[in-house]
Amino acid sequence: MQRRSLFRRTFDRPMTSMEKYLLAIILVYIVIVAVKNPQFFSLETLFDMIRNGSGIMILALGVLVVLISGGIDVSFTAIAIVSGYTSVRLMKVLGFDNLLFVILVAVVIGAVLGSINALLIHFFRLPTLIVTLGTASAFHGLMAIALGTKTYTAIDVPQSMLDFGSSSLLTISAERSQYSLSVFFLIVLACIVLTWFLLYRTMLGRMVFAIGSNEESASRIGISLLRTKLFVYCYSGFLSGLMGIIYFSGLSYINPVSLIGTELMIIAAVVIGGAKLTGGEGTILGAVLGIIIVQLFQSTLVFLGLGASWNNLFFGSVLMVSLGIMYYRQRQLNKRSLVFSSN
Amino acid sequence: MRSLRNLVLRDKELAVLVFMTACVILVLYITLGQRLFSPTGLQSMSVQVSEFGFLALAMAIAMLTGGIDLSVAAAASLAGIMAALVMSGQIIPVTDENSGILFVLGIVAALVTGLLCGLLNGFLIAKISVPPILATLSTMILFAGIGMAITTGQSVPVLVPSFAQLSTSAVANIPLIFIMMVVAFLVVAFVLSRTRLGRRIYLFGENEVALRFSGVRSERVILMSYALIGILVGIAGIIMTSRANSMRVGVGDSYLLQAILVVVLAGFNPFGGKGRIISLAVGLVLLQLLSTAFNALMFSPYAKNFVWGAILLLVMVLNHFVRHWRLRQPPEKPAPPAPGHKEEVRPSPVTVLIPNR
Repeated sequence: MQRRSLFRRTFDRPMTSMEKYLLAIILVYIVIVAVKNPQFFSLETLFDMIRNGSGIMILALGVLVVLISGGIDVSFTAIAIVSGYTSVRLMKVLGFDNLLFVILVAVVIGAVLGSINALLIHFFRLPTLIVTLGTASAFHGLMAIALGTKTYTAIDVPQSMLDFGSSSLLTISAERSQYSLSVFFLIVLACIVLTWFLLYRTMLGRMVFAIGSNEESASRIGISLLRTKLFVYCYSGFLSGLMGIIYFSGLSYINPVSLIGTELMIIAAVVIGGAKLTGGEGTILGAVLGIIIVQLFQSTLVFLGLGASWNNLFFGSVLMVSLGIMYYRQRQLNKRSLVFSSN
Repeated sequence: MRSLRNLVLRDKELAVLVFMTACVILVLYITLGQRLFSPTGLQSMSVQVSEFGFLALAMAIAMLTGGIDLSVAAAASLAGIMAALVMSGQIIPVTDENSGILFVLGIVAALVTGLLCGLLNGFLIAKISVPPILATLSTMILFAGIGMAITTGQSVPVLVPSFAQLSTSAVANIPLIFIMMVVAFLVVAFVLSRTRLGRRIYLFGENEVALRFSGVRSERVILMSYALIGILVGIAGIIMTSRANSMRVGVGDSYLLQAILVVVLAGFNPFGGKGRIISLAVGLVLLQLLSTAFNALMFSPYAKNFVWGAILLLVMVLNHFVRHWRLRQPPEKPAPPAPGHKEEVRPSPVTVLIPNR
């Protein structure tokens, strides 16, 4: 009887090969950075990374759910900006200042926009990438036409959001400075737990995996494709709406044309974590590790003495190599078991 | 009348597209008239369309194989950067004597870069079996990263004076690069419809497994088509560099959405195997007309973006109905639209996935 590893005891499953591989990359990279520049090892860096990465972490969870359902969504950054900006503008028009209200409005707008995606995808049987490409520019363009693209600096940002952005769970005072763990950490954790619960402990989650694995057989066993897809894209929109508010609060600067264009990077980060585009596969831990890698490259290349311009090169090569390994293994497996479909 | 009807029925999507283009031309002619359709207006439109036409052509080939190439814009700007680097005097100083050689070298550098980028995509897709979206997503980030690492985000100027003339010179009042694009369209149309490679590209998009089982080395087809895409992208990079007389990372990024838009607009099936180059040409004309009209009406870039996205969705929904237009005629099942059974005229990956309700 072999002793079960810590990982198995916590996650109740063996570690996937992509997770092992990513973990190895992260560890090696951290060691290299730490050797080059010991300043990297500080709570400050860690807290900074958590604070900066929390927004895209939430987005990544939505992307993961969509990928598991066999689709690919590139409209989530547009949804995040649209719902965040619209709700802030709405609150400004109504003339009061309440964090709960703004989050609620943003989340509802996000879910509605997500359901538009789902309806288009379901009823016209269109490729998800192209639909969401279209809706992304349509949503964002519509918002820009209707509301304009005025930016708000810290003076104009609602006070409740500023407070939200700067509130912290715990603060550690060092000799000269003090740094704090942002409250975003808690929200990210809550989102991870919620996603995990929905995916692995509810019927809805199993349906998402089922339509991702094989849509035809899923519908044959009586799963409603429409309802499942509505859930998937609404959930993605919901998380995007939440992220919109967190993003604006964290920056204490509201710019309605930011964030757009980073969606492919986030999808790439989730894909690197082992989510297959063909659907039905993907783990939350993998997505988290993928985002950590992106975040590490983004914030620590400076410690290596390389400018931010090297970021894409690093991430692109890691992405390409890991995709290569992942799919080459699949290809060998398919060859051996005489599976002739493309994937 | 009958032959016209047959012509329309043979390619319904093309007919719809031509009709839409004709309507747009009519409306624009009435509203903007002289400004748009003057010789200079047409000339500037034909210059603008050629920069983007090569990328659309590349995207169309990728979609015919059932894939998509997200890296076209990044690869084009990388190819342009390579050309600009050769001609910037940073590697070899530019003098009067060697400017001719540098001109040629720059073009070769761009073409080779484009070809290598395409081959890398093809290798990942054919030999490693990475799905095209992911393979080209990773190479898109990689190409942008390479360009960024080389230039650190700075714009690379071109010092060879004759290079800018490439985009300004004209033959009989027709811009040279427009002629290049027309030639490229003719060549690609010939390759796709008259050669073995073209036939196989269509077949690959239709049913990859069947192609492999009929003894065709299908991996080579993919490699060849992405190599072709790479060359087209390289030419696009040359034109972009020549028009701006400099190059930096991320120049053509906005073309990615538009390239996908025009290819879908032209009735190419994103699942592969269907689409004609002539439709693509009509689609390009339509898109360029609209784009110029928006500029004349001074739309903001966001408004333009909105229109592009809306058109993309509208066209796909419209194409969906056009595809099932005749199939819906016999009203066997009146109430809920259950297109599942009737659609299996041409078995494709799409119809296989359609659920029975």
